[in-house]
Amino acid sequence: MSHEPSGRVVKIEIDGRVVEARTGEFLLAVARRAGIDIPAICQHEAVDPAGNCRMCLVEITKASWDGWSRLVTACLYPTEQDLIVKTHSAPVIEARTVLCDLWLARCPDSAYVQKLAAEFGIEKTSYQPAAVPTDQCILCGLCIRVCEKLGPAAIYTVNRGGRKKVAGPFEGPPPDCIGCAACAEVCPTSCITVAERDGTRTIWDKEFQLLACTTCGRTLVTIEEARYFGRKGGLGESYYQLCDRCKRLQTAQQATKVAGLPLTVGGLGEASGRPFRSPGSLTTSR
Amino acid sequence: MSATAAAPAIPEPDLAPVDAILAGYPQTETSLVQVLQDVNRTFNYLPCHALEKVAASLGVPLARVFSVATFYKAFSIKPRGKVIIRICTGTACHIRGAPLLVDEFVRHLGIRAGETTPDMGFTLETVNCVGACAMAPVVIAGPRHHGGLSPADVPDVIQGKSDDD
Repeated sequence: MSHEPSGRVVKIEIDGRVVEARTGEFLLAVARRAGIDIPAICQHEAVDPAGNCRMCLVEITKASWDGWSRLVTACLYPTEQDLIVKTHSAPVIEARTVLCDLWLARCPDSAYVQKLAAEFGIEKTSYQPAAVPTDQCILCGLCIRVCEKLGPAAIYTVNRGGRKKVAGPFEGPPPDCIGCAACAEVCPTSCITVAERDGTRTIWDKEFQLLACTTCGRTLVTIEEARYFGRKGGLGESYYQLCDRCKRLQTAQQATKVAGLPLTVGGLGEASGRPFRSPGSLTTSR
Repeated sequence: MSATAAAPAIPEPDLAPVDAILAGYPQTETSLVQVLQDVNRTFNYLPCHALEKVAASLGVPLARVFSVATFYKAFSIKPRGKVIIRICTGTACHIRGAPLLVDEFVRHLGIRAGETTPDMGFTLETVNCVGACAMAPVVIAGPRHHGGLSPADVPDVIQGKSDDD
């Protein structure tokens, strides 16, 4: 996170509980640390908060504000002294309900949006549903931020207003895409399609060859992805030749072969020469 | 609207001016909008390869350059004619007959608003307000503002601009 809270420790009140935080720390982070639930859709620990989805709206006030209060996005609002935060007050619930209502109008076929809306008691949107439901994207922009964070920055929003959508340059297959599918991994509505067939992966209308593990043949990453992260992380071309399972096995075998050395965590690390975490670890859960 | 759909008929222009434009600005992301404005002014639109050049030169991802290029109304990624005719359809102009002017331009040029003549001579656009309501109805043809127009003046506006070029 680029946002480093450097302020002094203050006490704020969240839903009636007194919580300690540093000034400048974002409210969502403070609340989560205290175990207080605030829904947030476009929030991901890998990227800085952006305040796009508006789901984390909370009501803030202060004793000195004379009854006045306002709604702010918790993910982007910096903590300050004497703040009183309500995460589930009537105005907050109303704002979130309207959001869900609007998303349901935009993406009536999205199972994610349907479920979310149902949580706020909406079965059917009160707005005019999209005449032609385009896709199931709620334009939260998380895919864009994750892609930018990983490096390729292959996709962005194009157009504006009602025609805004996430796409590659010229609305075609993005030339900078490496097929890592991190965008699809983090997409809350799962609207980015990834198809894997016969050793290829297709995403954003672009086809990638998958790299097969030289030992077990499992395919985890695309050739472009291996090349990109190999270069970015200084790992070399050979790093992705083995899949994570085979690499662990190989390292363990090497470690036990080293005569007289006890099998320690430090020994394992040395034997592999590299940490196991790949720079593309966002996607290795697949 | 995809840029590739509009591309075939129009050959990519000579991009030499793009280098000259880029040379005039610091090679950072903050120059992006100014560079695109200059490119858009030079070609009347943003050619695909010009965007690629700008992205590479300023070190901005191409996807982001395209995002900016499609965000602002002032930019066009579709080729436009030598003379862009903007008919104001704001409230004052609307009341004073802008819809009649639109019809007349459509009839004379044989294109609808948002389109470009096949010879790349004219692009017809409607805009919401140009801030010259006292002159209503207003038409901006190329660099020149025309106020108080009636449909009978339309051929002159078109002709006048043709002569200038």
